[in-house]
Amino acid sequence: MRPLALFACLCLGLIVHAAPKKDAKKDAKKAEPVIKVVTPPAAPVAALGERAAIWHVWTDKEGQKLDARFCGLAGEFITLQSRDGRTYHFKAEMLSAEDIIFAKSCVDLARRNSFSPAVIASAAADIDRLVSAVLVANKQTLNAPSTDEQFLRRIYLDAAGRVPTATEATTFLASTAPDKRAKLIDELLFSSGYTMQMFNWMADLLRVKDTFAKGVPAFSFEDWLKARLAAGTPWDKLVSEMITADGRLSDNGATGFMLFDAEMPLDGVSNLMTTFLGTNMACAQCHDHPLAEWTQRDFYQMAAFFGATDGKDEAILGAIKKAIKGDASLPKAATTKIADMNAFRLEDGEKQKLTFPKDYKYKDAKAGDPVTPALIAWSKGEKSLPVYHVNTKTPSQLRDEFARWLTSPQNPRFATNIANRIWKKAFGLGVIEPVNDIDDLAEASSPELMAHLTFVMKAAKFDLREVQRVIYNSKTYQASASATPDLGKAKYLFNGPIVRRLSAEQVWDSLIVTAVGTYADNVLLRRGDDLKAMALPAGKVTLAEMKNAVNRTTKAFSGGGKLAGAPKKGGGGSALGLANGYDGDKPISRFSMMLARASELPQPSSETHFLRLWGQGDRLLADSATNDGSVPQVLQMMNGSVGKLVSDVRSAAITDAMKAKTDEGEVTSLYLSYLSRKPTAKELAVASKSLMDGLALTDLAWVLANTREFLFVQ
Amino acid sequence: MSILHSANLLRNPEDRRSFIEKCAKVSFGLSVLPFFTRIAEAAEAPGAVKAPNAGLPGFGKAKRVIFLQLNGGMSHIDTFDPKTGASKGPGSIVSAKGDMQLTSYLPATAKISDRITVIRSMTAKVGVHASAAYLMRTGFEQRGTVQHPTLGAWAQHFLGSSHKTLPSSVTVNRSSNHGNGWFPAAYSPLPILNPTDGLMDTKSPVSEAVVAKRTGLLAELDAGFGGKASDESVKSYNEFYESTFQLMKSTDLKAFDLASESAETKARYGKSKFGQGCLLARRLIENGVRFVEVASGGWDMHATLDDRMEEIGGDFDRVYATLIQDLESKGLLDTTLVVVASEFGRKPSFEGGGRGHHPLVFSTVLAGGGVKRGFVFGASDEKGYAPAANGVSPGSLHATIAHAAGLPVQTDIITPAGRPMQVGNKAAPQTGVFA
Repeated sequence: MRPLALFACLCLGLIVHAAPKKDAKKDAKKAEPVIKVVTPPAAPVAALGERAAIWHVWTDKEGQKLDARFCGLAGEFITLQSRDGRTYHFKAEMLSAEDIIFAKSCVDLARRNSFSPAVIASAAADIDRLVSAVLVANKQTLNAPSTDEQFLRRIYLDAAGRVPTATEATTFLASTAPDKRAKLIDELLFSSGYTMQMFNWMADLLRVKDTFAKGVPAFSFEDWLKARLAAGTPWDKLVSEMITADGRLSDNGATGFMLFDAEMPLDGVSNLMTTFLGTNMACAQCHDHPLAEWTQRDFYQMAAFFGATDGKDEAILGAIKKAIKGDASLPKAATTKIADMNAFRLEDGEKQKLTFPKDYKYKDAKAGDPVTPALIAWSKGEKSLPVYHVNTKTPSQLRDEFARWLTSPQNPRFATNIANRIWKKAFGLGVIEPVNDIDDLAEASSPELMAHLTFVMKAAKFDLREVQRVIYNSKTYQASASATPDLGKAKYLFNGPIVRRLSAEQVWDSLIVTAVGTYADNVLLRRGDDLKAMALPAGKVTLAEMKNAVNRTTKAFSGGGKLAGAPKKGGGGSALGLANGYDGDKPISRFSMMLARASELPQPSSETHFLRLWGQGDRLLADSATNDGSVPQVLQMMNGSVGKLVSDVRSAAITDAMKAKTDEGEVTSLYLSYLSRKPTAKELAVASKSLMDGLALTDLAWVLANTREFLFVQ
Repeated sequence: MSILHSANLLRNPEDRRSFIEKCAKVSFGLSVLPFFTRIAEAAEAPGAVKAPNAGLPGFGKAKRVIFLQLNGGMSHIDTFDPKTGASKGPGSIVSAKGDMQLTSYLPATAKISDRITVIRSMTAKVGVHASAAYLMRTGFEQRGTVQHPTLGAWAQHFLGSSHKTLPSSVTVNRSSNHGNGWFPAAYSPLPILNPTDGLMDTKSPVSEAVVAKRTGLLAELDAGFGGKASDESVKSYNEFYESTFQLMKSTDLKAFDLASESAETKARYGKSKFGQGCLLARRLIENGVRFVEVASGGWDMHATLDDRMEEIGGDFDRVYATLIQDLESKGLLDTTLVVVASEFGRKPSFEGGGRGHHPLVFSTVLAGGGVKRGFVFGASDEKGYAPAANGVSPGSLHATIAHAAGLPVQTDIITPAGRPMQVGNKAAPQTGVFA
């Protein structure tokens, strides 16, 4: 069945059920079977074609060759991965002319595999129909369409993670093409800014940190995620790769997600349930969940899928200790770090070792007994779905079996969880809130909309770029924004997106682009390959190998190697150390800040860095970023290094403005740079007068950056 | 009210959201609504939070808390719990004021020990620095699924903000490290990494005349969006800006400025970061900050314990005694609880020139805020290996401090994730330490 037909079919089924809010609960029950009818478990959903890896021997302008897989072309940058797992990022213009054409054809191939404009339009129209039906039933209406200026700013922030430059803004606003919005959406979804903002968003969800327990550097996890995002790897594959990853961080960056909780594996299971399924089982770790139906036994049965997995190799720690015993020449800090780096690895044994805890107090199992792995279900009948038929007999395969169930379109929550989170990313609120607890689908402000988004997610084969394309093309997304709703009074029915403060990364990235222009989109931090310096060759734990590893590591750490670069307090990271981690363009440093985009800085930034003050998460827990305000934020924006950056005469926004011949032209240009709109006649008059009245353009830039309008997206 | 009942209330996402919204109204002294006392507010609501410990001795005496963290694991035997025999360290045992014995590493403290209570029966199981420090800082064992708040955040939750413009909690010489726990980010302590720097970015880099023009223009140009905003979050940012302008002009800023202290006072506290940090802590609590953490490093004495006790222990001794005397002379000691805590103690036996980690028994010290003067609570056994009487868990220590600060202990609150939690993790306060 073609996707278009599927959408039509689904919507016919759903519109009937669009009902007043008071009946939402009853309707949710009706809505669920609709999905099941439309997408029977085994039905092939023909949507996006599989993206087979494209291997190619690449040649650069100097004739050097590299046998590598095409991972993506974002903006001016190409990402390749060679057979030994190394990633390469560089400006595509460095390639031979033939290979530049070949790279572009790879992209075209990827785009051909995406939804056709007709499918996008149909799926977006379905969103609008479902939202409107609920609004009408509740005597509400969709907000008026956004102006081009509002849309411009919103889509740049959502899809590229920053505001447009004055030039970019002018180009769009001046265009008279009837499909200019759809075109801009497509352009931004394939820009390098897209990868950067998706990285920020996922880093908060997946707890991406530079260092794990014991200071083990985890840069390779960051590199892995960036490469996958650039390649457009679908969410199900991304998650499956993380859950089933084997080996050390230095060899396989994907292990980073599971290794985060290597020393607390039960917590790790709770965390991944919340992150990937929106189900909160943390309470059930210690006792039956007091609020939901999960029992402690449920939790242990799920955790048993990881009962054969080992995250820490105690044997190698012992072997290293033995090998270096008596040798005083090796620096202790380096050997400890190397030992930990080699010890943290994922491996599956032949035995499932999890047993019920000593204090287990329920009658359904006995304390100390081995746990038999079993999957949870949210409603009756789910357990008869084919995806629930997992093999629990081979302990070393348990993780793979779990991942197969977890990431399947048949999983009762996997698609809904990510669809709801992606919706929240665009609108400011999930269809079900809170997004980390979606056990009860009837809690959705519109269960029909939730079902439709889940369906779109599955039809897009979990390609998040395609799902966002659908959402961004909807009239609902393109409506003007609503004030923050009082959810204590009623559910929000999505009259439009919600006015909200830019995320920490959006504020920072916007200020970076106003300071250095689109140059910042080409500054990429990649440090993962340096971790290989710390890896011991398999099975070779000898004093000589340790000495080699220490030498390699020390070299990488000192002399400005990529491993150096621990964030300095207050600043944007040690300029010297970090600078060597950058591929392509090097970042500019001003006022002790590295002017790279948030995704290309330490993860997360140091506690006193602008990003953290403005709510970048500490990544200790999933979803730790906030939009809360504070006085220290404002102090730094007005008086701190960021305030100085904004009012610096070298700022790109200011040099752009100075190209204009008149005061009016200068003011207009600065307005476009900061607020993505032209000033009103009154604003123009007031601002121009101030320029003749002792203030400079640098002061006007400071003023615009400090407006609430700059901090918020409408 | 049963746990289940209150939990079910918050099971409803709207109730949970309103919990979060209520919490979010206060940030660094600024309230969107006039700032509130949660107890007072809750008293009018069904299911009011009442403090079951309100009638017990010492409740609510401590209006402020200074929490000194000696990172690395202070050897109890070489400081506040001296031993003879095989366990004895290089320092000698001296009789101190208040009828207790200390080691010769703490001569200044020995002169003010008639104002302190030593708990010699702290006991825990965690012997790894980071996890043990987390436990001592929060009263909870470290988990991967939840971050627990510091006492400062708990206090802000139950009692509201402690000052109109200043933050309610500050950390000195250390990062805030998710101190808000599950409470809103606004409850996170303000970190001051260097006490002599104080609060950053309070002065504009341009002249006052330009500042005035800039802010005038800002008000005019933002009148459209910011000025007319009906959106709550935009309005709260308007207030953050307003509040920042006020703070920049306000004398409250002096709370962060060590330069206002006399040279004599600064000298008494000494030049060390810990000394200056304690002086800053005193200034902050004097000016209305409720909860200040001050960190001191270097206590992980596996080797050269004797030398390092002279150096690091000596600095601590002078600074601590100065702080207690200073608070006393300013009449603040009775209402300020000073806690000396370390993540664990050290082994009775020597290995090389130092001692290994030992969480089974160790000491903490309380002073002021209604605790007994010149008192020893609990005891370790003869070797200093295990508690001999009145074992106190880190959770119970937290319940004790919370009790002194007037917080309801052994009372559930429901986190935004819907989990019931108690300050001190269900432990009872040690009311025996209070006068």
